[in-house]
Order: sequence, then structure tokens, then C-alpha cells
Amino acid sequence: MAMRDTIIEMMTNIAQQQRKPLAPLQDDLNLLSSGLDSLCIAILVAELDEEFGIDPLSSTDDHNLPVTVGDFIRLYENAMQ
Amino acid sequence: MRNIVVTGASRGIGLGVARKLSASGFHVIAIARTSGAELEAATAEANTNGIGQISFYEQDLSRIDMLSETAHALRKRFGLIYGIINNAGLGTSGLLCNMPETEIECLTQLNIVSPLVLTKHLLRSMLVARSGRIVNISSIVAITGYQGISAYSATKAAMLGFTRSLAREVGSLGITVNAVLPGFVDTEMTLDLDEAARRKITNRNALRRPTMIDDVASMVDYLVSDHAQGITGTAMVVDAGTTA
Ligand SMILES: NC(=O)c1ccc[n+]([C@@H]2O[C@H](COP(=O)([O-])OP(=O)(O)OC[C@H]3O[C@@H](n4cnc5c(N)ncnc54)[C@H](OP(=O)(O)O)[C@@H]3O)[C@@H](O)[C@H]2O)c1
Repeated sequence: MAMRDTIIEMMTNIAQQQRKPLAPLQDDLNLLSSGLDSLCIAILVAELDEEFGIDPLSSTDDHNLPVTVGDFIRLYENAMQ
Repeated sequence: MRNIVVTGASRGIGLGVARKLSASGFHVIAIARTSGAELEAATAEANTNGIGQISFYEQDLSRIDMLSETAHALRKRFGLIYGIINNAGLGTSGLLCNMPETEIECLTQLNIVSPLVLTKHLLRSMLVARSGRIVNISSIVAITGYQGISAYSATKAAMLGFTRSLAREVGSLGITVNAVLPGFVDTEMTLDLDEAARRKITNRNALRRPTMIDDVASMVDYLVSDHAQGITGTAMVVDAGTTA
């Protein structure tokens, strides 16, 4: 499965389990407006590390979260290359 | 077999906890700077009994810069980590007015910063599994005064704040976070107490006996078990009635 699809699927599942209403996941959607809270993002990052063995957020010096869903997906797509 | 990390498991309370948890069927990952004959004997015993297991992992936990790597190495070598018992600690005593700043720093580094950072990294496994157990070994001196250990007491009280707020952060995932507050226990940490002081503490205990390592280990064993899935954010006093 492509990285993009994996991330979208994980986001959807996590939102469901954590009972968070999820906005339609488009690239320009602000992550913070997606419905996922910071714990959901932490779970997502942990699951992606588990699945692909990468954690691009911890290896950047800039600890700011990517702003949009698209930024987040690109960060992981680039880290896989 | 569930993996559970016990820090400072080479002797004293941590060793007792490692023994108990392996007898309950956990795979205990025992962390300390050196292993030693007692831990080796406990490891052999666990392997013979065949219920649980103990593996030693050498790490100086005051090396905060190494802890992320440590967590990754543990995950790689042993698989997902179910829980962590933050037990390793320094018990430096002395009047605050005479205590060198470097000693205060060493105390806070090992007793506060290290468990926070290690837990942060090991939580990853628990987030993925949507379950887990964190037990922080505090002390009754977090809630009652004892002269000559103000710096140490401050570090133990820090564990209570950590426990309660982390319990709220991760509770929705079924991860429990609790503190255990032992009374005075006879270990290497308390060697500098003389016989008279020991007797005085024991005589003040409601049960007229000292707190044993096994008392503390039994509480930890309960908190990490499935029986304790409804208990989080608590501070469990295990002190033979010192504070009763
Ligand atoms: N004894 C008591 O009366 C009492 C009462 C209340 C609470 N507690 C708490 O219970 C916990 C255990 O105490 P204890 O009496 O069992 O202490 P202890 O007998 O002195 O054992 C301390 C353990 O921590 C390990 N350790 C120390 N420094 C370390 C470091 N830099 N990196 C990794 N491991 C390290 C030691 O192994 P290495 O030296 O090989 O590294 C040892 O396994 C502590 O958190 C203490 O505050 C004790």
C-alpha cells in the first residue's frame, strides 16, 4: 500500500477508536482541524515507526508538527526515499 | 510473554520486583549498570522455573542522551514493551545546606529526568498496543518529612505529579500509571542508617516489623496484572504502617 493510503487509513482508524469526528482528509486540511488531537497524532507517529521503522519528526531539529495533512504525508514519503 | 522493563533491577527492591514479575510470567528486562551475582542467580532461577524470564540490559540510566537509543534497542531485541517499572534511583542523603550542587543535579538527573525520558520513549510500544503499565517507585518521604533527605524527597515527590498527570494523558488507551511509596526497606541505599535508627523506625510501624522487599514487589506485581486494569493515577503506600 502506498504511504499516503497507509497514513489515511491509520488516521481514520485512530479517530474511530478514540471517538474523534474526522473531517474529510484533504491535503490542504490543517492537521489541527482534522479532529485528531495530540494523543491521536502521537499514536499515528508510533504506528508509522512500528510499520516502517522511521520517525522523521524526531530526527528533525524543528519540533513543529507539519501544518497540513499533505505536509505530514510528504514528510513521511520523503523519509522513505 | 509480555515484556516488562524494570530499571535498577540488579539489587534491592528492583531485583525483588524482577524476581516476582518473572514468577508471574513476564519477560523482565532488567536494566542496571552492572549485573552481579544476585541478578544472575535470579535469571537462572527464572529460566529453570520456566514461567517467566529475565534478561539483563546494561545501561547507565543517567545518560539521558542515550535513552532514545536504548528504547529502540530494547524494542528491536525483545519486541513490544508492555510496561515499565521506574525503580532505579539514588538515595544521597545529607543536609541541604551542606549538599554540593553537583550531588543535587545527579539526584534529579537519575531520579526524575531519566524515568521521564525513558518512559517517553517506551510509551511508543504501549501506544501501538493500546495497553500498558507504568509503575513509578516513589517513597513515603514524598508525603512525609524525614530529616537529611530533602533533595531526595523532592525527587520522589516529583514522581507523584508525573504519575497523576501521565495517567490522565494516556488513560483513554488503557495504559495505567501508578506510584508505589515504600517505607524504609533494608537495601544498599539505606546502609548508612545505624541499628538504633532502624529499630526506631520498625518500632513506630503499626505492624512492628520493617517493610520487606517482597511487600513492595507484591504491590508492583498487582499493579501490572490484569486485576489492576481499573486502577490508575494512584499512590500506593507500602510501609508496614509507618505513616498509619
Ligand atoms: N530502600 C528504601 O528504604 C527505599 C524506600 C522508599 C523508596 N525507595 C526507592 O526504591 C528504589 C530502589 O531502591 P533500593 O533501595 O532498592 O536501591 P539500591 O539497593 O541502591 O539499588 C539501586 C538500583 O539502581 C541501579 N542504579 C543506580 N544507579 C544507576 C544508573 N545510573 N543507571 C542504571 N541503574 C542504576 C543499581 O544498579 P547499578 O549500581 O548496577 O547500576 C541498583 O540496581 C529507588 O527509587 C528508591 O528511591 C527505596
